[in-house]
Amino acid sequence: MSGRDAGERTVLFEARHVTRRFGGLVAVSDVSYRHNQGEILGLIGPNGAGKTTLINLISGTLEPTGGELLFEGRPLKGMAPYRRAHLGIGRTFQLMKPFPGLSVLDNVTAGALFGRQPELAMAKARDLAAHWLEFVGLGEKASQPADALGGPDRKRLELAKALALQPRLLLLDEVMAGLNAVEIDEVVALIQRIRDGGTTILVIEHVVKAIRKLSDRLLVLQYGQLIAEGTAESVLEDPAVIEAYLGRRRG
Amino acid sequence: MRALVWVLAAAAVAALAIVPFTLSPVMVQFGISMLLFAVLAQGWNIIGGFTGYASFGNSVFFGLGTYGTAVAMVQFHLSFALGLVIGAAVAVAFAVLIGLPVLRLRGHYFAITTLALSEAVAAIISNLDIAGRNQGLILPLIRGDTMFYELSLGLMVLATLTVLWLARSRFGFGLIAIREREDAAEVMGIPTTRYKVMAFALAALFSALAGGIQAYYLTFIDPASAFDLSLNVRMIIMAVFGGAGTVLGPVIGAFLLSGVSEVLASYITGVASLFFGLVIIAAVLFTPKGVIDAARRLPRRGLAYFLDAVRETRL
Repeated sequence: MSGRDAGERTVLFEARHVTRRFGGLVAVSDVSYRHNQGEILGLIGPNGAGKTTLINLISGTLEPTGGELLFEGRPLKGMAPYRRAHLGIGRTFQLMKPFPGLSVLDNVTAGALFGRQPELAMAKARDLAAHWLEFVGLGEKASQPADALGGPDRKRLELAKALALQPRLLLLDEVMAGLNAVEIDEVVALIQRIRDGGTTILVIEHVVKAIRKLSDRLLVLQYGQLIAEGTAESVLEDPAVIEAYLGRRRG
Repeated sequence: MRALVWVLAAAAVAALAIVPFTLSPVMVQFGISMLLFAVLAQGWNIIGGFTGYASFGNSVFFGLGTYGTAVAMVQFHLSFALGLVIGAAVAVAFAVLIGLPVLRLRGHYFAITTLALSEAVAAIISNLDIAGRNQGLILPLIRGDTMFYELSLGLMVLATLTVLWLARSRFGFGLIAIREREDAAEVMGIPTTRYKVMAFALAALFSALAGGIQAYYLTFIDPASAFDLSLNVRMIIMAVFGGAGTVLGPVIGAFLLSGVSEVLASYITGVASLFFGLVIIAAVLFTPKGVIDAARRLPRRGLAYFLDAVRETRL
């Protein structure tokens, strides 16, 4: 487990006092954390805690209303999402967003064509796309139209699309939601293989068993605030976290 | 199969090229109009079919092309070739300037905003002395239907080759991704704003060149005919009828519908537009993905193709 020996690790991404308001609602409030190179960070919290908003802020779909985001020490402020993708920030969407009119292969090819290695020739991009489809186990369905895929396969496609841009920081938004136990185990193994390939990963997940297994560290959000940070064991026993999930004990 | 299509297309272009030397002047005049419509439909295909932005601003590009060419020739006594270049440059510049804010809108909002452009630009032109105000401009007379025909044919081939390149290039791939799902396209590294503006400018280029040819060919232009919104509606219908987002669909749509409307207009003048409307409703119901798609799948699927189409349109 190369991911767990902290200490001399380099920081890939850092959030400093990041805040995002929507009118009167503070969706993300003064969140600060460091994400080390090669680390899998789990991001958990009740519904509406601001997890997806945080991913939107990192990928550039939203801009923070306060604070700073740094990728390799470089501020991301004002940088368009496509340029963050070129830097190596890839993401999946909780509500999967395949290109419905395109084949499964072409969906992934789009990611390869425009990812971290721009100016890739079409044939080369197709090869790369085929490789990632094979990697997520969709190799046999490459020529099917993307909207013909079922739920679990769409999750895999979403993953392959994000991988095709060869991200250095991969943001996974509930890639296990709606999967059964066997499928979850497969995806957990997949994510571990992605990390072993050198990718740093932030993963939002509700399936506690899976996230405990995957994460080197956990971040817990509640009402937009970071209420706990640490190893899975310590965080999941933290009274504040238990209260956030289960409510205050009566009496 | 692929090769056969392109051999046929080359043969069709060759056959079209000899029309002025074999058929009557009336056919040549019909041919010019048909070819220019094919250019317009292909131009719309770039922004509407590939990029997924249903533009009603293409008739503005057409109008700017006609006026750019006419003003250059009439007021500055420049050559036709230079006039075409100026008309195209004006339209492309306008597409970039207006595209930057307008292409931030999506779906219906984009369509409605571009819808207003025709009226606005026509109103401006009507008040410009250099553009002849609302009386319009009269261009030098030239008798050269063959020249106009071959020029239109060349432009149509150029537009189609451009779309063929789009369908195979990285740029075109990016446009299709934008059409399919723009927010996902952007986080995948596609510079969506730049690509949309470039597609808009490319559409403007071809629409304006068609406008420039039309201006010199008809030798008279005025704001009402140059900025005619129904022209925009016709190019959309032709592109969609043939198959938006395909390489040959808009050309085939323009040819078929030009033919249909010409035949209807000459035989049954009064009810021509009614029939034209019926043809379009039938097309939308039974071949919503265009004639190209129908031709490709009909042999395999048979009549079930039409039933699937009706089911998909949820009627």
